[in-house]
Amino acid sequence: MEAAILFIMVLGLLFLGVPIAISLGLSSVMAIVFFSTDSISSVALQLFTASQNYTLLAIPFFILASAFMSTGGVARRIIRFAIACVGHVRGGLAIAAVFSCMLFAALSGSSPATVVAIGTIAIAGMRQVGYTKEFAAGVIANAGTLGILIPPSIVMVVYAAATDVSVGRMFLAGVIPGLVAGLMLMIAIYVNARIKNMPKQPFAGIGEISRAAGEAGFGLLLIVIILGGIYGGVFTPTEAAAVAAVYSFLIAIFIYRDMGPLKDVPMRKDGEGLASAIVRNIVLTVIYFVPGCFHKDTKKVLTDAAKTTIMLMFIIVNAMLFAHVLTSERIPQAITDWMIGAGFNWFTFLIAVNLLLLLGGQFMEPSGLLLIVAPVVFPIAIELGVDPVHLGIIMVVNMEIGMITPPIGLNLFVTSGITGMSLIQVVRASAPFVLILFMFLILVTYVPGLSTWLPYSLMGPEIITNR
Amino acid sequence: MQRVDNWVTRFEEGVLAFLLAAMTIVSFTQVVARYGFNSGWTGALEFTRILFAWLILFGMSYGVKIGSHLGVDAVIRLLPKRLFRAVAVFGALCGVVYAGTLLYSEWLHIFGLNTRGGAIDYWSKMYKIGIGLDDLRYPDYVIENFGTKERVQRWIAYLILPVGLALFMFRCIQAAWQIITGEREMMIAAHEAEELVAENKDVLKD
Repeated sequence: MEAAILFIMVLGLLFLGVPIAISLGLSSVMAIVFFSTDSISSVALQLFTASQNYTLLAIPFFILASAFMSTGGVARRIIRFAIACVGHVRGGLAIAAVFSCMLFAALSGSSPATVVAIGTIAIAGMRQVGYTKEFAAGVIANAGTLGILIPPSIVMVVYAAATDVSVGRMFLAGVIPGLVAGLMLMIAIYVNARIKNMPKQPFAGIGEISRAAGEAGFGLLLIVIILGGIYGGVFTPTEAAAVAAVYSFLIAIFIYRDMGPLKDVPMRKDGEGLASAIVRNIVLTVIYFVPGCFHKDTKKVLTDAAKTTIMLMFIIVNAMLFAHVLTSERIPQAITDWMIGAGFNWFTFLIAVNLLLLLGGQFMEPSGLLLIVAPVVFPIAIELGVDPVHLGIIMVVNMEIGMITPPIGLNLFVTSGITGMSLIQVVRASAPFVLILFMFLILVTYVPGLSTWLPYSLMGPEIITNR
Repeated sequence: MQRVDNWVTRFEEGVLAFLLAAMTIVSFTQVVARYGFNSGWTGALEFTRILFAWLILFGMSYGVKIGSHLGVDAVIRLLPKRLFRAVAVFGALCGVVYAGTLLYSEWLHIFGLNTRGGAIDYWSKMYKIGIGLDDLRYPDYVIENFGTKERVQRWIAYLILPVGLALFMFRCIQAAWQIITGEREMMIAAHEAEELVAENKDVLKD
């Protein structure tokens, strides 16, 4: 009974346009006021202690790293590299756009940022060589969702925090599914390109590939630092995130120079010798190091990252409060008992999870939804023998699909915003690719090895501490 | 008035940027200190966590001010204009009730509810007891010169809890008033990338 009131209150407030965080927080506070004798002091204190979670501490750092890397300049370098690699295949520019989204996802971890940064450049480029706008927009809207599947991913950090699964394993688990999803999109484009005889670029040559790789490499090293550092045991995911944030600051200000005091200062002037260029750049970096730290661009990136962190963490803190109320009312146990009593096995259970998440993903922000659903679903999954890392990947893929299905799909809004197409047009344009992602969801759901093989063979099996 | 407003905004943004930068630098130098010099500061992790809590609790009121808190607007957009405004005011008032209850839950006694405690109550209890945090210590010269206790008191870290909630409540009341007077449409942002899309609106339109 209390559970029903709680859920109805949250949904009611949500649809009345109350902020998600307050819907969750207010419902939890009211549940405690009416149904329990706890002091409100301990609830208020939860707001403070929720942010003391060591795993969640990685989130602001990843957001900061992503904010430094989500510039148009980084996107341009990645696209150049992608076109050099796969542009000469039929449908090459579209395939390169998917490839760019995958690479950019490894730097930014934010889907809307990926769509804007890659989309603004790639869609324009694709149209110039004769692709239709609909096709280009559909490709980008879908490929952009890979941002939350390819590590580092904030949604995975949130899942790990909610269920005490290791962040390192979750990140590694996302690698192969991310590659598979990208490949599936690329194959679809290639087949389509063959049938419709779409344009291809001339082969750029090995020289161009290595030059482009050299430029993009500074950024892409970020993912190597993060995954390598975590896997090699050099640092914890939270520390890796802090290192990534500092690294991307240095790259953005002193190497790529799309912002900050050295903006538009070339690395190597025309006709300048290599040695003198190196010396000049080192001197410049030393002189401008302190101004770089306090430059207005740096401050703007910090403020933007802080805004995103607050928006996300305020939801997370309140969702944790809500999850706490759920657990103290023993609601997850009740649902577990009911589901097992109703004869669910792992196969049908996973269908139920997918449906629940696809539905919930329409209205809720992914992190908040995950924090509410995970405490309910996780114990059942363990009971039915579903692997915790595998479950996490299924959840992430569901969140991805939630971003490109109406009525409330973030990537649809963003794509419609930047292209000036109506929402309906974007939905229609992306529909064929959404079907592919649905196929991908089924594949991920019923082939656990796709998610679990890499993390378990590198880091050993996950030990379940949270039953 | 406008000038004061700009000054406040700059102050808020400055504090938020500073908190995030401080967290990052402390965590990064810890990694460097551990691997490079095999040393470290025991209070670093606790300090970072407190900064994180301050970032969230101080920032949540700023989020209300700039309207960045996410919500679902699809349903209320279908309502007639006057009802829409009433519902939008209700949304802001929910924020007031939320923060008010967490601050001082005893106000619910007027409805005959038997609640107790709240952030103010908790903080003043901590202030009276004066116990210290786990790892965060005052530097030696501060202890010697000012005669403080060895560890930093908990009430200093928890100060942001009542302050942040009070600011949040104030911003929600302000938002409600702005919606009533028509200065503002509603409390929420429909999706997290509104600003990003606005910056790049129609860049690819023919």
